[in-house]
Amino acid sequence: MNGINLLLPVVLPILAAIAIPFLLEKKKEAIRPFIIGTVFLNLIINWVTISTLKTRMYHIWTLNDFIDVFLQVDELGILFSLLVSVLWIFTTFYAIGYMEHEKHQERFFAFFIMTLGITNGIAYSGNLFTLYIFYELLTLATYPLVIHSETEEALYSGKKYLIFSFGGATFILLGMILLYTLTTDISFVAGGLPILETIDRDQTLLMIYIIIFLGFGVKAALVPFHSWLAAAMVAPTPVSALLHAVAVVKSGVFALLRVCYYVFGADVVERIEGNVYISVLIVITILLGSLLALHQDHLKKRLAYSTISQLGYILLGIVILNENALLGGILHLINHALIKITLFFCVGAIYVVTHKIYIQEIKGIGRKMPVVMWCFAIASFSLIGVPPSNGFVSKWYLALGALGAAKPFFAALLMLSAFLTAAYLLPIVVTAFFQTADEASETEYTVSKYMTAPIVLLTGVIVLLGLFPNPIVGYIENIVMKLM
Amino acid sequence: MDNLMTNYYDSASMILFGVGFMTLLLNNNLIKKIIGMNIMDTSIFLFFITKGYIEGGRAPIYAATQSQSQNFMNPLPSALMLTGIVVAVSTTAFALALTIRIHDAYGTIELDKVIEKRGLQNEQP
Amino acid sequence: MNNLKVFPIIIILLLLLTAFVMPLIKKRKGVFFLSLTTVAATFLLSAGMLRTVNLVGSYFIKVGPYEAPWGIAFHIGYIEALMALLFTGVTLMISWYGVYSIHKDIKEDHIKYYFTLVHILLAALLGVVFTNDLFNGYVFIEAVTLSSCGIIIIKNNKNTSKATFKYLIMSVLGSGLLLMGIAFLYAITGQLNIIAINNELVKVAASKQNIVTISLSLIMVGLGVKSALFPLHTWLPDAHSSAPTTSSALLSSLVLKAPIVFLIKVIYQVYGLEVIRETPIFSILLFLGVAGMILGSVFAIYQKEIKRVIAYSTVAQMGYIFFGIGLGTEMGLMVSLFHVFAHALTKAMLFLCVGSMIEQSGYKYKDEFRGIGKEMPVTLGAFTLGALSMVGIPIFPGFISKWYFSIATINANQYIFLAFILASSLLNAVYYFPIVINGYFGIDNVKGKIYKSKYKPIKEVLPLAVLAIAMVMISGYSSVLLEFFKLGLNIK
Repeated sequence: MNGINLLLPVVLPILAAIAIPFLLEKKKEAIRPFIIGTVFLNLIINWVTISTLKTRMYHIWTLNDFIDVFLQVDELGILFSLLVSVLWIFTTFYAIGYMEHEKHQERFFAFFIMTLGITNGIAYSGNLFTLYIFYELLTLATYPLVIHSETEEALYSGKKYLIFSFGGATFILLGMILLYTLTTDISFVAGGLPILETIDRDQTLLMIYIIIFLGFGVKAALVPFHSWLAAAMVAPTPVSALLHAVAVVKSGVFALLRVCYYVFGADVVERIEGNVYISVLIVITILLGSLLALHQDHLKKRLAYSTISQLGYILLGIVILNENALLGGILHLINHALIKITLFFCVGAIYVVTHKIYIQEIKGIGRKMPVVMWCFAIASFSLIGVPPSNGFVSKWYLALGALGAAKPFFAALLMLSAFLTAAYLLPIVVTAFFQTADEASETEYTVSKYMTAPIVLLTGVIVLLGLFPNPIVGYIENIVMKLM
Repeated sequence: MDNLMTNYYDSASMILFGVGFMTLLLNNNLIKKIIGMNIMDTSIFLFFITKGYIEGGRAPIYAATQSQSQNFMNPLPSALMLTGIVVAVSTTAFALALTIRIHDAYGTIELDKVIEKRGLQNEQP
Repeated sequence: MNNLKVFPIIIILLLLLTAFVMPLIKKRKGVFFLSLTTVAATFLLSAGMLRTVNLVGSYFIKVGPYEAPWGIAFHIGYIEALMALLFTGVTLMISWYGVYSIHKDIKEDHIKYYFTLVHILLAALLGVVFTNDLFNGYVFIEAVTLSSCGIIIIKNNKNTSKATFKYLIMSVLGSGLLLMGIAFLYAITGQLNIIAINNELVKVAASKQNIVTISLSLIMVGLGVKSALFPLHTWLPDAHSSAPTTSSALLSSLVLKAPIVFLIKVIYQVYGLEVIRETPIFSILLFLGVAGMILGSVFAIYQKEIKRVIAYSTVAQMGYIFFGIGLGTEMGLMVSLFHVFAHALTKAMLFLCVGSMIEQSGYKYKDEFRGIGKEMPVTLGAFTLGALSMVGIPIFPGFISKWYFSIATINANQYIFLAFILASSLLNAVYYFPIVINGYFGIDNVKGKIYKSKYKPIKEVLPLAVLAIAMVMISGYSSVLLEFFKLGLNIK
């Protein structure tokens, strides 16, 4: 069957996840090699699939014109799935170190791996309907991860997560149905569906656009649907790092990319003025995220609000409808993922070793855990946008795009937000390095190698991408060309 | 109005239907409800059977001395209504047995008292 | 081929004969054996029926020596064959489950009477679906009513007595209205055979507009009482929650469906869509369907007993089906039939799961079931699958129904109802998910529960598993089913 190996990246992790409870009931120690093996295998399969596949489409299940579940490989999908697969490997190592003393490990790792398969499915979806299916499955698969500790607080956060996610999914379904009745085609075509150029119902299209944007915006933490993200910080750090800074929220952003550029198309969005209405929400998101981050003393929550704000950057890049801005947006998708995951890993490492979760508690920790905190500092500078970090490169392109579209307001917004980012990230670095601890303790803090290695490696990647951004920029430019 | 008078069997069965229906629905005593059910069913049978009437026909029974080219009334509705009567009778029997059960369980056959008792039962811890 | 055509009659006869033989069997095992083999045989015969219809198209067979319209005829098309397959299959699963659990609900010496009643019920349900004669349909519907009352009251306590009486009275009201409607139809057409009525009705419909409306309303209300059309559903929560487990499953999944299938046949094949569009009937059905969808779920949220929650969920689902009929398009009817299929399988499975959870733990109120996921993981797992289908997660049949209902709504230009369909699925999540979540997760919930302590042996859980698998397969075969239903609706 042509293209059946397209199924592998999606199905293999899911099968592995199902196998875990059965195979490993007897041998608990075998989990680690199994998981590590699976994620590496997944990366290899992804690489092989995309480089050797001649046919790039595979229909899983076709009921009729609408209910057509098919996978399709294109550049954006490759970008996303490779990003996710690589980061998953790092997170697996980190999680092994982090979860050493937690219970219910089989359940955790099973759903962890399953989510990888589903995210691959999102990356390779060929039409809006397939994306919707995997989207719903993503919510279900990540729910047990969010409520892992099963405390009352965790269950409450999980309930909030479900309510927001399903509410958003309903909006998406509604928009999808309405769109289908107008166009009878909801597959992804670079540059937008051709049929939309000819349909003259701007008001209806605008309404559909807004409905679908809001629906996917729930997962992308668009204000006012952002409150689930901070609440979901109750999950273990590997979950927070990967899922909520990378996989889940970036799936939302990815879906929005697909909707704006592969279904509607930049011309249509501009024509129906969809970007005008949405940009209001995005501006609020960027500002509100940063402002709320300033108020948080809980480290993970501060990072969560920071994510909300940073996602706003990416959405801004999508909505300015300009080549440079889109380039900046997609680049920031990658950069932010790397940076945020590093930041979360550092915070998680601090928690595991010292059980400290508030900023005031980590005074002087820079001396006790120098490696971790140095990496945190480097990542923070990158997020603020100090050259020569990769954060700087993406913000540069975003600003260029804003100016190019004759909207200097957005460029000013980016500057303001950079200041705010510094305002909420630098105090952490300062407290860790330049303040002395309240109780002078002589305990040595040893961090497990499983955790430090990913942190250091990721920081290295961040620096590398800051110095040599061109390969990735070139690849993204390729994508952007086809969309404009 | 004229039609109501000329089709008096239709009107009669409608009135009976109404009476039976209301009794079934609103009366509190279970036995009276069952009686209402019977009245309602009977009215429908009446309606059906009268539909079989043909002007100038005679009872649809063959007799050896009569010729066979006489007009008969339509026997079909009557035959069908026999089935209907059987259904009504079996339902009545079942309902009566059920009434005895309720009497055993609640000690009364007035529906409002049964509801009260069940309400009390529900409020008990 | 003519020999193969008599399968429907064989099925009904077989069921009735074994029903009356059953009370003579002394040993419990003998009763179980006879019942299961009979229902399995009918299932195979139904499959044979489907194959025959596939080969030769729909056909009529006469029951007894007289030709229609003086005698009674059965019409077997795709709809009838598929419904037969569904009814016999679900009954088989439920009876199989019942073999292991029925003695916990009813007295030992009543068990054989229980299976007698189940056989009569199944025969009557199939009769309602097969028949091509309105009065014959009425008689079979009465038989359904009486036998379903029987399977509730066979568990003799206060709750069931009152619930059965309420059910009986409301059913009789419905039957009376139904019969009156049929009487009016007979008055203007002089026929009782569905095909014949349609032929006559086409000639007189224009002049007798009032009578058409009146008879249709009476038939609709009459059948609506039996199928829990809102607001005529009030008998349902009591009856379904107080009955024994297998009876609840049978009632919710099958007994409510036969009157609806009959209603669809009446609407489509007796009257025809054009005639009914002249009347306001469809609008009324649309509104009542939507009301049922939303209010059924809203009421379910406030229920304390777990079985009542599921019973109100049934009211909501029947609302979907009435909504589909009320759309007044062929697609609406097709989707309603599909939903009949999907809901029958899902609800049977849900009730059996809940029943086994109640049996093993002795609890009745939904708050008491915390942590049950640890004790009975497989059972709650099947429940979760059913809940996901009700909420409308893709790959489950609930999603396919919701999907097609939406398309049918848009095709019928009733955009506003789209919001209600989607809102109702979300509401389902509000009362189903807490049961699942509290069952599996939550430290406080799971404290003190021992893993698999209340686990049922594999053979008792197997019917649940089969129903779950069938449910998922239905969504895979949904396009095939819909095609069949479309073919089945077009007979002449």
